[in-house]
Amino acid sequence: MDEKVIVTNKGLVKAEFAFWVGIFLDKFYDNLENKKLIGNECPKCGDVFVPPRKICGKCNIVIPFEENWVDLPETGELMNYTITYHKINDRSDRKVKKPQIIGIVKIDGSSTGLVYRLLDLEPEEVKIGMKMKIQWEDNTKGDPSDIKGFIKV
Amino acid sequence: MEKVGIVGYNQVKLQSDANYGRYEMIFEAVRGAIDKAGLKKKDITTVISCTNDYYDGRTISNCFTVEVGGGYLADESKVEMDGAHAVLYGLLRILSGNHKLAVVWGGSMPSCFPYHTTRLYETDPTWERPLAYVNDITAAGFQMRAYMEKYGVSKEEVANVAVKNRKNAAKNALALEEAQNQNITVKDVLNSDIYADPVTELMVAQPCDGVAALLLAPEKQARKITDNPVWITGVGWNQETYYLGDRDLSGSKSLELAGKMAYNAAGIKDPRKEIQVAELYEAYAHEELIFTEALKLADRGKAPELNTNIKGDLPINPSGGAIGGNPPCGTGLIRIIEASKQLNGEAGTYQVNGVKKAIASGQIGMCAQNSILYVLEGGN
Repeated sequence: MDEKVIVTNKGLVKAEFAFWVGIFLDKFYDNLENKKLIGNECPKCGDVFVPPRKICGKCNIVIPFEENWVDLPETGELMNYTITYHKINDRSDRKVKKPQIIGIVKIDGSSTGLVYRLLDLEPEEVKIGMKMKIQWEDNTKGDPSDIKGFIKV
Repeated sequence: MEKVGIVGYNQVKLQSDANYGRYEMIFEAVRGAIDKAGLKKKDITTVISCTNDYYDGRTISNCFTVEVGGGYLADESKVEMDGAHAVLYGLLRILSGNHKLAVVWGGSMPSCFPYHTTRLYETDPTWERPLAYVNDITAAGFQMRAYMEKYGVSKEEVANVAVKNRKNAAKNALALEEAQNQNITVKDVLNSDIYADPVTELMVAQPCDGVAALLLAPEKQARKITDNPVWITGVGWNQETYYLGDRDLSGSKSLELAGKMAYNAAGIKDPRKEIQVAELYEAYAHEELIFTEALKLADRGKAPELNTNIKGDLPINPSGGAIGGNPPCGTGLIRIIEASKQLNGEAGTYQVNGVKKAIASGQIGMCAQNSILYVLEGGN
C-alpha cells in the first residue's frame, strides 16, 4: 500500500448551460436592474415570495402572472447567519483570508428569507433580529449580483 | 407489510484517499456481501446501484458499474444520492413479488472530485448558484445556529456529540482513520478551524471514499439463506420544501414525518422505551441532536441531556455515525448495516447490550431536506 498510483486521467467536462429563468424571475430581474425589489403573493395562503414564484408549493397552485405582484421595501430582519472562510464556486472550493458573513434576511412584508453577504460588519456585531437594508451594486445588470449584500440600518 | 429480510452486508474500510479504482471498490463491497452470505452471482435477481452522476464524472454512470455491482444480465436500476433511499427501492422491488434477492450498493470517492462544488450543483441555477452563498457549508452553519438559538443549546453540547462519535469510531475498524479520535476532548472540537460558524471542522462528517452493499430477500428466501435475518418492520420517508429561507431549520420536519410513518408501520407507540439503539445519518454533530428530537427520542431542545453513549440510556451512533466516515451515497446504507450488526450481535467492541429493535436513518439535500427512517428487528 506504500506505492502511490500516480497515473490519473483528468476529466475535463465543459458544458455551457443556459437556464431559462421564466417570466416571473425575468420580471424580477428587470426590476432589480432598476434597484427595485418585487415579490408575488399566493392568492390562497397569502405567502409573499421574493424572488417571485410561479407555483406555491404548499397550496400546489399557479399564481397568476397578471396579478398578485407586491412592491417590497429594501429593508428586512436578519433571521440567521454564519461566518465562513470557505468560498465555493462552480469549479473549486478554497479558503480565503477574510471570512465572509452570510445571512438570511427576511424582507419586510415577505414570507421567505434571502441568503446574501452581510457587508461592513464585524462578526461580533452580528445579532439575529437586526434590521438590515439592501446595498445595491452601482452598475446593475439585471441578475442576482445587483444586490451586493445587506448592511445594518 | 410482508416481511423482507436483510440477509447480508459488507462495507469497505473508509479512507480519505483510497488510492484504488472505484470499480474495484464497488466489486469488493458487493462480492464480499455475496460471499459472506454464501450465495452466488446467479442468485442475484435485481441490483440497485446508488451513486451520483456528478460524483462519478460521467452521465448515466451506472452503465459502467453494472458488472462490478453484480448486475451482469440481471435487472438493474439506479438511485441518486443516499444509499438508505436505494434500500427503499430494493425493498419495494422485493415486495413486488418478482424478486428473490436484491443487491443494494452505494458509495463514491470524493478524493476524485471537488465535493463542495458538486454540492453547489444542487442549488437553484437561476437564482442561488451564480453567487454561491447558498451551499452545503453555509447551510450547515445556518442549521446549527437555528437550533442553538431556538433552544438555548450551547456549542459545548453540540461538540459533545462530535466527541462521542469520534471516540465510538475509534472502536470501529471500518471507520475513517482521521475520525478515530480516542482521546479527543470538547476543547479540541471547539478549537478546530471554523467551518461555518458555529460549526467547526471536527463537528463535520468528513466526506470520504467508501462503498457498502446490502442484500435483501423475501421472508421465505431469507430464512433459507441465513439463520439470523434482520427484518425491516417499518419504513417511512418524507420531503420538505427546497429553499432554506422557507424552512424552520431548528428541527427536521421531514424526519419527524418519516419517523411517524415508520413507527406506525412497525407498531411502535413509545420509541423511547421500545428502541434500544439508533444509527442516524448526522452530516454534522448538531444534526444528531435535531434528529433525536424529530424522532421523539427526546423532547424538543432536550437531546443534549440524553445519555447516548454505548452504555447509556439510548445509544446513538455506537459505530461513530457519519462523523466516523461519510462516503457520499453510502452513508445512510452504512447506518442500516450498523443497526443490523447491533441486532445480530456482530458489533464487537461497540456492541450495545440487549438490542431487539433498532432504527436507522438516511438523508438527502441541504439540511436534510429529504429523510428516511427504518425500523429493524432481529430474531425469527
